[in-house]
Amino acid sequence: MTKGWTAIMDGFSYMLEGAWVNLVVVLGALGFGFALGLPMALVQVYSRSAFLRKCIGAYVWFFRGIPLLVCLFLFYFGLFEYLGWNLSAFAVGVIVLGLISAAYQSQILRGAILAVSEGQMKAGRALGLSDGQTIRLVVLPQALRMAIPGWSNEYSILLKDSAVTYALGVSELMARAHHVASRTYQHLYLYVTAGLLFMTMTWIGTRLLRSLQERLTIPGFSK
Amino acid sequence: MNDVASFDHSLPILDISHVTKRYGGMVILDDVSLSIRRGEIKVLIGPSGAGKSTLLQSVNFLVKPDSGTIRLEGKPVDASSKQALCRYRQQVGMIFQDFNLFDHLTALGNVELGLVHVKKIRRNEARDRAMQELERVGLADRAHHYPAQLSGGQKQRVSIARALAMDPKVMLLDEPTSALDPELIGEVHAVITRLGEAGMTMILATHQIGYARNLANEVVFMENGRILEQGPPEKILEHAELERTRAFCSRIADARG
Repeated sequence: MTKGWTAIMDGFSYMLEGAWVNLVVVLGALGFGFALGLPMALVQVYSRSAFLRKCIGAYVWFFRGIPLLVCLFLFYFGLFEYLGWNLSAFAVGVIVLGLISAAYQSQILRGAILAVSEGQMKAGRALGLSDGQTIRLVVLPQALRMAIPGWSNEYSILLKDSAVTYALGVSELMARAHHVASRTYQHLYLYVTAGLLFMTMTWIGTRLLRSLQERLTIPGFSK
Repeated sequence: MNDVASFDHSLPILDISHVTKRYGGMVILDDVSLSIRRGEIKVLIGPSGAGKSTLLQSVNFLVKPDSGTIRLEGKPVDASSKQALCRYRQQVGMIFQDFNLFDHLTALGNVELGLVHVKKIRRNEARDRAMQELERVGLADRAHHYPAQLSGGQKQRVSIARALAMDPKVMLLDEPTSALDPELIGEVHAVITRLGEAGMTMILATHQIGYARNLANEVVFMENGRILEQGPPEKILEHAELERTRAFCSRIADARG
């Protein structure tokens, strides 16, 4: 009992720093995934080029079909090694999680864009707005609001996935819990602590997104 | 106003000639031609599926016609040029059956959007202008309400204000009161009537025959993608030449009691 608590107390700030690493990986991946996923969604919905749409489809199919661990190894020990890029495990973690997240976010955003009624586009065009302006000023402000619940889900998935970067040697929460446990032999206590920290981060993140969603709700509008 | 001087009033302000539209194997518009002079009000009537809505949407290329020409003040519209199309659409106001207000913007924001982003007017001037348009449709007190907080009639009046803010030369109204509760139709009709009195050129598709009679200079009867008959309201609504037109008008009149 006391040994367990001591191990937690001694290792806590070390593990908390690890949790911070997870959070940075997740925010980086979410941002990178959004920057990549939004144009992908726009292409899938609006592009007249069947080839481009198929390319996006293939991208999504690829990243949805491969286990995260395989993907991490494929890029870290495989592709980047082959290309001679000397990237840190942390950077590869952000990139790979971001690439995967782009596949999922593109589908979240695609659904949200399609949920905005076609009449909105027509009304924008009828006013003399270009298609680009209509998408930017009319469709996206509504679609992005509708995407928040999907993002919340994506955040919690990414957060848990970020623990897998441990396998590349990223010094994140799980790696640190394991490190402390292997020295103190208090595995149960330390993994429970790690689990609770992940849960707390999930809870805080989804709460923040929920309150963002509430703040951005269009008055009187329910979808 | 300056182009009024250079524009011959005997010529149509808007000329639709030989417009055809097919969807799959169906012919929705079959070689439709229609001209409208400045200040004239034409009302399109006809059964659902006659092509009224498709015709109006083809006029500002929300539906791309397969063939045919649209001329505004004598100049053919080049729909292949995006810029020309945007410039043209500014001059042709469109009112939709289901309003299509931008749901994420207030009434004021809806009216302001085109002024700021199409007409490139500075935001505070745009705000003043948008407010004037809302006053014109009697909704200044609803300026900061979102569409979901407005009644159907109010939404349609905001959408009219939004179109008017662009200073259109012609207004196309696609069954503007069909989605409204009966008690809300009057307020929208009142706004449209005032527009007509102010000299606005309009093409209105409607099932409200009684209203059409009072408003229209000419009633146009459409069926199966073709204009079958057109003429003064009394003639078309009461003494139409074609049996089809008479049958349609009497059925509508019966239904309205």
